Amino acid sequence: MNIDLILYCVINTLVVLAISPLFVSLVKKVKAWTQGRRGPSLFQTYATIRKLLSKEVIYSPASSWVTRICPYLSMASLIVASLFVPLVFVTGTVGGIGNIILFLYLLALSRFIMALAGLDAGSPFGGMGSSREMSISAIIEPTMIIVFATLAFVYRTLNIPDMVSIAAAQGTMAVPTLILVAISLFILLIVETSRIPVDNPETHLELTMIHEGMVLEQSGRNLALMEYAAAIKLAVLTGLLVNLVVPLGIATTLSVTGLAVAVIALVVKGSALAGVIGLFESSMAKKRFFQLPSLFAMAFFFSTLVIIIEVFS
Amino acid sequence: MGPLDSMTLPLFTAAVLALLAGTVLPLLALGEHRRYFHTLSLGCTVIAAAVLGILSAIILVTGDFLHFTLFTLGNGASFSCAIDKLSAFFLLIISAVSVPVAIYFSGYIGSMEGTSRRSLVCSFTNLFILAMVLVVSSGDTFMFFFCWELMAASSFFLVVYDYTRESTRNAGIIYFFMTQLSSLFVLLGIVILFCATGSFAMAPLPGAPALLVTAAFLCLFTGFSIKAGVIPFHKWLPYAHPASPSPVSALMSGVMVKIAVYGLLRFLVTVFTPELWWGFLIFAAGLGSAVLGIIYALKEHDIKGMLAYSSIENIGIIFTGVGLFVIFTATGLPLLATIALLGALFHSLNHALAKSLLFLTSGSVVHATHTREIEQMGGLINRMPYTSAFFFIGAASLAALPPLNGFASEVLILTAFFTSIPVVDPLLKILLFFGLALFALASTLSAVCFVKAFGSVFLALPRSQASEKASEVPATMLAGPAILAAACVITGVFAYQILIFAGYVLPIPDMFLISLLLLGVMALVYILIHYTASRSTRTGETWGCGLDAPRPSAEYTGHGLSEPVEIIFSPIYRTRIVQTRQFFDQKHCIYREGTGEIRLMKVFEEYLYLPVARAGLKLAGFISRFQNNCLDTYLLYVFLAVIALILFLGWSP
Repeated sequence: MNIDLILYCVINTLVVLAISPLFVSLVKKVKAWTQGRRGPSLFQTYATIRKLLSKEVIYSPASSWVTRICPYLSMASLIVASLFVPLVFVTGTVGGIGNIILFLYLLALSRFIMALAGLDAGSPFGGMGSSREMSISAIIEPTMIIVFATLAFVYRTLNIPDMVSIAAAQGTMAVPTLILVAISLFILLIVETSRIPVDNPETHLELTMIHEGMVLEQSGRNLALMEYAAAIKLAVLTGLLVNLVVPLGIATTLSVTGLAVAVIALVVKGSALAGVIGLFESSMAKKRFFQLPSLFAMAFFFSTLVIIIEVFS
Repeated sequence: MGPLDSMTLPLFTAAVLALLAGTVLPLLALGEHRRYFHTLSLGCTVIAAAVLGILSAIILVTGDFLHFTLFTLGNGASFSCAIDKLSAFFLLIISAVSVPVAIYFSGYIGSMEGTSRRSLVCSFTNLFILAMVLVVSSGDTFMFFFCWELMAASSFFLVVYDYTRESTRNAGIIYFFMTQLSSLFVLLGIVILFCATGSFAMAPLPGAPALLVTAAFLCLFTGFSIKAGVIPFHKWLPYAHPASPSPVSALMSGVMVKIAVYGLLRFLVTVFTPELWWGFLIFAAGLGSAVLGIIYALKEHDIKGMLAYSSIENIGIIFTGVGLFVIFTATGLPLLATIALLGALFHSLNHALAKSLLFLTSGSVVHATHTREIEQMGGLINRMPYTSAFFFIGAASLAALPPLNGFASEVLILTAFFTSIPVVDPLLKILLFFGLALFALASTLSAVCFVKAFGSVFLALPRSQASEKASEVPATMLAGPAILAAACVITGVFAYQILIFAGYVLPIPDMFLISLLLLGVMALVYILIHYTASRSTRTGETWGCGLDAPRPSAEYTGHGLSEPVEIIFSPIYRTRIVQTRQFFDQKHCIYREGTGEIRLMKVFEEYLYLPVARAGLKLAGFISRFQNNCLDTYLLYVFLAVIALILFLGWSP
């Protein structure tokens, strides 16, 4: 393992930890603006997490080690998954760090343990959340894998850092098809981070209870970890999308100025995407749960169309 | 003859003799001492399986080839054994599952009914394992079929152990019919091969007529598919597994269905030169089984029935890998073919380990709660902590979660998909993309299925009295699953290293590194939280929406959990609404009483199995009309037959 790789891991983790709550706040801010409100401060999510860390944890008497291990395991799997997506600096990796298949399955690992934790306390809401989250993940998976296979197909590699390197080396988009892939990736981002029209991250009503339902029984430091993990997921998927489609500014060699530029570029690109997410969320209502499959089917057909265009072009 | 025969031949003989001893011993025992003979017999199984493990390890590492002939019959038929790397790999699967199952069995057998039946079950278990060992060691098709039949017969007696129940007898009949159908097709395939080449040797077929070769392949493929439980030949699994004792299910689902995979691979690799469309056939069968199998599994609420359907899914995944292997071989991509084949083989091993682990632990759960209905369980995680931890490992493994072994083999098949797409021709690309989408669907649906299984069996509050009073099983029933769980973790975490040791450097992630990272990050997060965050912890009741205390009836049930997926895939389930209404008056105006129920249609049973069965009955009825128990009629038949014979002989040259 060379020094570059270790530095890459450290820098990437620090950046994702530092920046992810910001993106969450940004989306909230944009949504507030479109509704004519001032909205929370951009640092509200940091404050929420800090406050949750100082609160006590309450466990249900029915709950087991699943609830206790869940925050740590889901945080760990998302942090490891964040290593797979270069945010500000890209270098060659070893041992399958960056493997696109493993990336998908690390997300699945965090979802699996969260769904079990949702059932653990015996609350009907947790079960409802788990049930819906797992169902949604199951029906979006074909689209997800097709999009990721298209990426692997376009860049001729299974490794995400290599994809980003290629994208950065070419400066602009490698293939025009990538614009279409970006749209599919955006839909995946909306679904994976539980946003409107699939889920609503802001409410605890039964109607929208998917992700929030699962974590309803979590409290204190455990809830802080879960919220942080959700923020990291948003940041990682945002990073994946912006760095593949607009690879502008990402550092390929280690230098202080290069990294500084890259961080600024990431914040700017990420904020732009957060703005788009906020506007997208504000422009539509939450869909009824059983209308989602047709939405996903549309996403699937769209991705397949992209592939057919790519294969025969 | 291999150079290590002086070492491998005695080992093989010792294993076979130990299994024979295990078969005969319990039958000799009488009276009070039977118990010891049962333990002795299962001890023989453990020893034999351990010896086989050593034997297969030697052959896998050195690449040695063990070949010998027991005795020769006339006409080219002989009993000969040939063990190469492929056979040795499947011997390894047999031994890896048999040891823990036998250990578990020694604890489980105490709770089974009937002492003389217990002796028989020990004896048949050994015979069954022996038959499977001999099938994979067969050097010619004659012995292959002979042992195949032995395997079918001995497993039938294990399935009908609990014959006093009607459901078991039904399951036994279905199993017997399907397994004989499988044997029939295998026999047909072997006979066609014999007609084409004139020998029973397992060797390539140069110059054999293409039509015969294709017919032989189709027959063998059908035969092996029935045995493996590929949809639409899967119906025996969800009947036979719930009916048979759990260790037997573990052996049948973990090992026996893999023997069918072995058969398919053996004939594809050694005998045939596969064509492209064979690959498509296997690929389509595999994907169909994977997706439909897991969709049906989601609907099951009998824990062993659910595991049986999950086996169908995993066999589908293995067949998908085999199909890719054939496709890539036929299109001239040897590296990708190797990755796909290794994926299929590795998944055979991993599914064997994880599924027998799940069958054994679910056997413990059934032992503790006296029900197979998952809606009657719940809350077992605090009552059976070890069993639940082992079940968790098995479930996570089959849900393909990193870093466990189910992921390690699925990632191989997925890598074959991903890396093949840029290099094949356009139409194949599109096909592979769709295959990939279905494969991914099956993989995530299995995660849903195991969230349901683990969630409803082990988590939340107990849903019945029996579940409330459940307690942990004895040590022997924990030791077996413990071995399997450890094996699941080791083969998953060290998959990359194991493959390098076997001589394959493949572009798959190094799970050891990733596991270290995961553990390291978890430890780091824990330490950080421990020192920075508040440590106060309290226990408080779950909020029950206004109920004073949470009740099991308010919990989310297993049915409820899988309901969204069931609604989304409702066209596949085909439910039927059955209503009966009775009225007071003739004109059906005044309603008296009625019933209504939503019944799940068993599509394959109603549209494939039953029509075939009815046609068979009709034909039999027609033939039985010739049999009227009247001597005159029979004399007439004889007379007509003689006339026909004379005419035939007279006209033929």
